[in-house]
Amino acid sequence: MKFHEKILTRFLSCTSPVDKEGYLYKKKERNATYYRRWFVLKANLLFYQERPADRHLLGVIVLEGCTVQMLDSDGFFPFALQFGSGLKTYRFAAGDAQTQGRWVKALFLASHSYLSGLLRVLGRQYEEAKQQQDSTNSCSTFKSLSPPTNSLLVPTLGPFPLVREGRSFSASAALPPPSMPTKMAAKKSPKKWPRRNAHVTPLNGPAPLYGEWPLVGSDPLVEFSKLHDFYGQEVQKAREEWLRSQQTEKEQSEKDLIDLG
Amino acid sequence: MRFNEKELVCLSRQPSEMAAELGMRGPKKGDVVKRRLVKLVVNFLFYFRTDEEEPIGALLLEQCHVEREDSQTFSIAFLDEAERKYLFECDSEEQCKEWMDSIIKASYEFMRKNLIFYRTEIHRLTGKDPLEQYGISDETRFQVNSGSQLMTRDTSSL
Repeated sequence: MKFHEKILTRFLSCTSPVDKEGYLYKKKERNATYYRRWFVLKANLLFYQERPADRHLLGVIVLEGCTVQMLDSDGFFPFALQFGSGLKTYRFAAGDAQTQGRWVKALFLASHSYLSGLLRVLGRQYEEAKQQQDSTNSCSTFKSLSPPTNSLLVPTLGPFPLVREGRSFSASAALPPPSMPTKMAAKKSPKKWPRRNAHVTPLNGPAPLYGEWPLVGSDPLVEFSKLHDFYGQEVQKAREEWLRSQQTEKEQSEKDLIDLG
Repeated sequence: MRFNEKELVCLSRQPSEMAAELGMRGPKKGDVVKRRLVKLVVNFLFYFRTDEEEPIGALLLEQCHVEREDSQTFSIAFLDEAERKYLFECDSEEQCKEWMDSIIKASYEFMRKNLIFYRTEIHRLTGKDPLEQYGISDETRFQVNSGSQLMTRDTSSL
């Protein structure tokens, strides 16, 4: 498949916002070695090259249909982009916990699907805010402000739960591929994509379960709040485990202090 | 340049509201109109031979200029190559309008601008920043002045 490199390289060098850039280690699957690369995140594209000044681009990763996983390893700060069964998993490592956390968050927010979901939610909020504004401005009958009928406007999750604080989680902080998308994908046909004429192939019908696609193609409003819920729960769990392990450690050390016989 | 081809091919198979057989002509001199299955998925325009499942190519719909050529035809030009246009022949004026509209609105940068607009307006109307509840109000990605090149340069230990 032709990927029109010129268009991509032009996009990289144009004046649209760079969302994040910096050095990271990228693992080469062939020899299981990490190489330092300069990464530039723009919109839903992650470009990489050897050095910032290089004109030669090594590659680009389109960030759609992947989950970002924060991994845990002592003294080493890995994370991964997982595209699902049969598809690639890109592995990276940062130099410290803060960088790791920032990249994981940035990549999580990078997809077109994410932005699309967020846009729909805000679009509705905007319409409601305008309506309320209009109703308070009008001098006619008082309109009671009804609460949003769509509970999705009120997220069940609080702030983006990125808790790192320079310490490793003792339990695995790896976020497994969300179970949620499997539910989402459940209505899609599990059959292998048969070789058929494109006319007959239902383009808007069920897509093959080639890989797991958390967000593309389903209702963005539902996805958006669920995605936040899901990641929130995972990180919440990991945090609780970490706190418990801290507690155990503390108790252990206190025990040793007392037991000096 | 390497790219995640398999994953992109998979992306191209996702359901899309904008998928149709159109006459497509490449930008090079001597390119002729060919019948292609054109499909819009996120900010990519995939095009297939009508009887194949794997796309021939993918066009990133960023920094591109969509123009009406005639009642049923539109073109897409990328950045500084105004003469190098991809041409798309539709079956009706309505279809042509719909495609142009969809392509413009599919651009990430277009959506980002909309987001910033909503964010600013909601804040103005309600006094609250709608992104706060998601903990993303500080992300450079969603900043009001992100029209300029904002960089979060990582001063990591690497």
